[in-house]
Amino acid sequence: MLDEPRRWSNLDPKRRRDPGAAGKAKFALLRAVILLMFGVLVVQLVHLQVIKGDSYQERAEINALREIVVPSSRGLIYDRNGEPLVQNSAQFSVALIPGDLPEDGERSIYRLLAGIIKMPEAEIDALVKKGSKRQGDYSPAVIKKGVDRETALVLTELEPSVPGLRLLIEPSRRYLSGALLSHVLGYVGAISAEEFEALKGAGYFPQDFIGKTGIESTYETILRGQSGSRLIEVDGSGRELRVVSERRPLDGANLILSIDLELQKKVAETLAAYAGTSDNAAAAVMDVKTGELLAMVSLPTYDNNVFSSPISEADLAALTKSPGKPLVNHAVAERYPPGSTFKTIVGAGALQEKIAFPWTTITSRGYITVENEFDPNKIFVYPDWDALGALDFYGGLAMSSNVYFYYLSGGKPDERFVGLGEDRVASYARAFGLGEPTGVDLPGESMGTVPDAGWKEELIGEPWTLGDTYNFGIGQGYVAATPLQMLTGIAAIANGGELLTPHLGMEFRDSHGNLLQAIEKDVRRRVPVDKQHLETVQAGMRQSVTRGVARNAAIAGVEVAGKTGTAEFGPTLADGKHETHGWFVGFAPYDDPEIAVVVFVQRGSGGNDASPAAADILDYYFNGSRAAQKPEDGP
Amino acid sequence: MIGPRSARHFDYLLLLLAITLVSYGAVLIYSAHLSIYPEGLSTGHPLVKQGVFALAGLGLAIAVACLDYRIFGHLAFRLYLLAVILLGAVLFVGDAAYGSTRWFTIAGQQVQASEIAKLLVIVALARFLADRQRQMDDVRVFIISLLMVAVPAGLVLLEPDMGTAMVFGAIWVGMVLMAGTPPRYVLVLAGILAALIPFAALTVLSGYQVERIGLFFDPGSDYLGGGFNILQSEISIGSGGLFGRGLTEGSQTQLDFLQTSTTDYIFAVLGEELGLMGALVLLALFSALLFRGIRAASLSYDVFGRLVATGIVVMILFQVFINIGVTIRIVPVTGIPLPFISQGGSSLVMLFVALGLLEAIVLRHKQIEF
Repeated sequence: MLDEPRRWSNLDPKRRRDPGAAGKAKFALLRAVILLMFGVLVVQLVHLQVIKGDSYQERAEINALREIVVPSSRGLIYDRNGEPLVQNSAQFSVALIPGDLPEDGERSIYRLLAGIIKMPEAEIDALVKKGSKRQGDYSPAVIKKGVDRETALVLTELEPSVPGLRLLIEPSRRYLSGALLSHVLGYVGAISAEEFEALKGAGYFPQDFIGKTGIESTYETILRGQSGSRLIEVDGSGRELRVVSERRPLDGANLILSIDLELQKKVAETLAAYAGTSDNAAAAVMDVKTGELLAMVSLPTYDNNVFSSPISEADLAALTKSPGKPLVNHAVAERYPPGSTFKTIVGAGALQEKIAFPWTTITSRGYITVENEFDPNKIFVYPDWDALGALDFYGGLAMSSNVYFYYLSGGKPDERFVGLGEDRVASYARAFGLGEPTGVDLPGESMGTVPDAGWKEELIGEPWTLGDTYNFGIGQGYVAATPLQMLTGIAAIANGGELLTPHLGMEFRDSHGNLLQAIEKDVRRRVPVDKQHLETVQAGMRQSVTRGVARNAAIAGVEVAGKTGTAEFGPTLADGKHETHGWFVGFAPYDDPEIAVVVFVQRGSGGNDASPAAADILDYYFNGSRAAQKPEDGP
Repeated sequence: MIGPRSARHFDYLLLLLAITLVSYGAVLIYSAHLSIYPEGLSTGHPLVKQGVFALAGLGLAIAVACLDYRIFGHLAFRLYLLAVILLGAVLFVGDAAYGSTRWFTIAGQQVQASEIAKLLVIVALARFLADRQRQMDDVRVFIISLLMVAVPAGLVLLEPDMGTAMVFGAIWVGMVLMAGTPPRYVLVLAGILAALIPFAALTVLSGYQVERIGLFFDPGSDYLGGGFNILQSEISIGSGGLFGRGLTEGSQTQLDFLQTSTTDYIFAVLGEELGLMGALVLLALFSALLFRGIRAASLSYDVFGRLVATGIVVMILFQVFINIGVTIRIVPVTGIPLPFISQGGSSLVMLFVALGLLEAIVLRHKQIEF
């Protein structure tokens, strides 16, 4: 209809005033165009508002409502005397909420921030993108942690006028005694992606903190409490308008540890003094009646405060690559051959099984020989550490005679002396808690190893020999235990047969000091050894300190009973000897045992390193107690 | 110039429709401003200003209606020159906002040059085409008319203001077709332009425009930046549903998720708070208004009047289409006010002047009958 120009231009000028039929058609067409264009708009409107309306409504709601997590305050930790071990403080972190950054304006905000927090714009941009990817557009993406107070003040003033900027006050944990209790307390750190994935349902959020190791990890749920949340309505720039609903956080409970901070200090000092050039050393003190751990030290240590703020790659590498493995708690997470300390368990078993009696006398000429089972001409020699002569049971233990315990464990077939045999040695070892976790309230415990014929066959592919039993009997060869396992075993001898679960946590209290929960004494089992036999072992250990190899453990005023161990490890050296670990396990007072002690010094000697270290610890505990020192500290 | 007898031919309905639209817009502006002016109307409220402009516009409309619109035809060349000068000058001395230079400040009042220019160019083009009714086949006439619009449209594009440039183009197409240009000319031109699109995208369009067109196709690609408005507008309108969330009840509007919610995105306020029904009422009002405009064109005493009326109708139609189209994502983002509804003095006054012209055309026609 529009293609009729010729008729138009040919029209009589007078009739130009009348649009005519063609004009009418054009007006009709124009009306049609109007209806068509508006029709297009209506179709799209129906699509958005009617067909997809519900989903847009939902999005509008999500737009305006934000859930803010209100963190609970983490429970504090005290030592048994009420000394605070941790402190909650706050650190200021700068964060941006990606979804609140203005259109086209995020660059200018980056530029502004870059100047204040001294950080390149590109890095800020990258962190915002990363945050938005990981936790969505409406969770704060942390740009910088731990900004100082002055910067925080500047940012507080800017916060209301800069859309998307948030100054977060993040809880931060300070460990007051630092390196002294790092292995016990562990530390709190930012939740990892994997941890968050696993704990999403338990009220954790992506920027959350979590106990990573130590007590902080074991008692995470109780210390953490329950975070609250606040549903808020926000405007287009993310400013909070009103609180729609609020769930108050439930603060974590305070934990009282069985650790005695002063004793812990003494143990750490003593151990450091005797450890010398060792890569590592460990010591622990336990209440033999309750299983409470009064001190637990592992060397080398680290300052757990370094994990409160982001740690640099280099610092972390230094910690993980150091030969002494400072991050590892050597008292529970590493196993070593227990050496002669193991003789206490073999001795107890031998008495119970009537292999030995207190008067059983065996003569050590410095070694015993064993014929090869298949070739009588081949003779193996098993040495004692000296020609100790005729020894009864007490003497065997006191002098730590290897020969005495070769007899008790493996027997002497040519003399018709029947020993326990590897099966029974293994079963007593297990009864005293070796080869299983002690159940201490720390993560990462090693089970140690209790070998037997089946174990050797399976793992090494060789049959068990008498020589293996001999080595087993003196705590060498395949058997391996953690210092804490040896400590609980010795405590069972000291307390008359109760194998206890060692623990660091004692009680939980609320912020007003009301007791919420006490961690009760837990007897894992009674060892299958009669009390009288345990007393015989105790007496042997006492003699070891009075006249035997553990003489260095003696202290004034209190009767100490103990057993040293100098366990060979590693390859044979040029002079035919081995490097040794030094051990001491013992308890005191002898007549009414109160505490048990274990000292382990890698590449050390039981008699010369571990025993005197134990003596210092016991001396401090019994003779130089805090009560005696207090007046000096006071004003 | 107009006798009392002819006053009965005055198109009251047209004026009533315009006033209804302005009132409709006022309600929306009030609601959209509630977060900034929570205590409601006061002397400083933008709505008061809007009312003043509406009254001024109404006065101007009546004044224009009383004039013989043909004087504008006589002044056409000078008016056209004025339009080009305005658009050229604004590029140098204008105020910038939202990345675009569109405004003069006269006596503390921002005046948008392109709003005035649109009407001036309609008048000039109408005069030019009306004078050449016998030469509409002539390609030169076609090309000159094209250049007449291309110059102001090009200047507007430099501001940059793609939306208004598009409106100029639509006005030109509507007017030349109404004037009798062979449609094939327009089709050939459209073909050439289509072929030039890739070239234009690379050179003529600024990065800002290319980016906006890109956002139209994928607003999520830059959520923090320009895509925000498109998505928020879409969410607002979509969440309105059939009947809307109620006036002053839309969370998107009231919580400031919509930017420029009283000007370019006012339709999103309407969509959210009054829903599809509110939108249909608005479109019905616009349809009625535009139909009255076409009536004016069809009643026109001469070709000049018919073309002026056509230009005005096409101008309003495209502004409505582009403005709403942007908010519901069927047109790339471009800032253009919704006629009679959006807050803004220049646009409102200019629209009332345009209505005055339509009234003048209607009045003049009837007078001739006797």
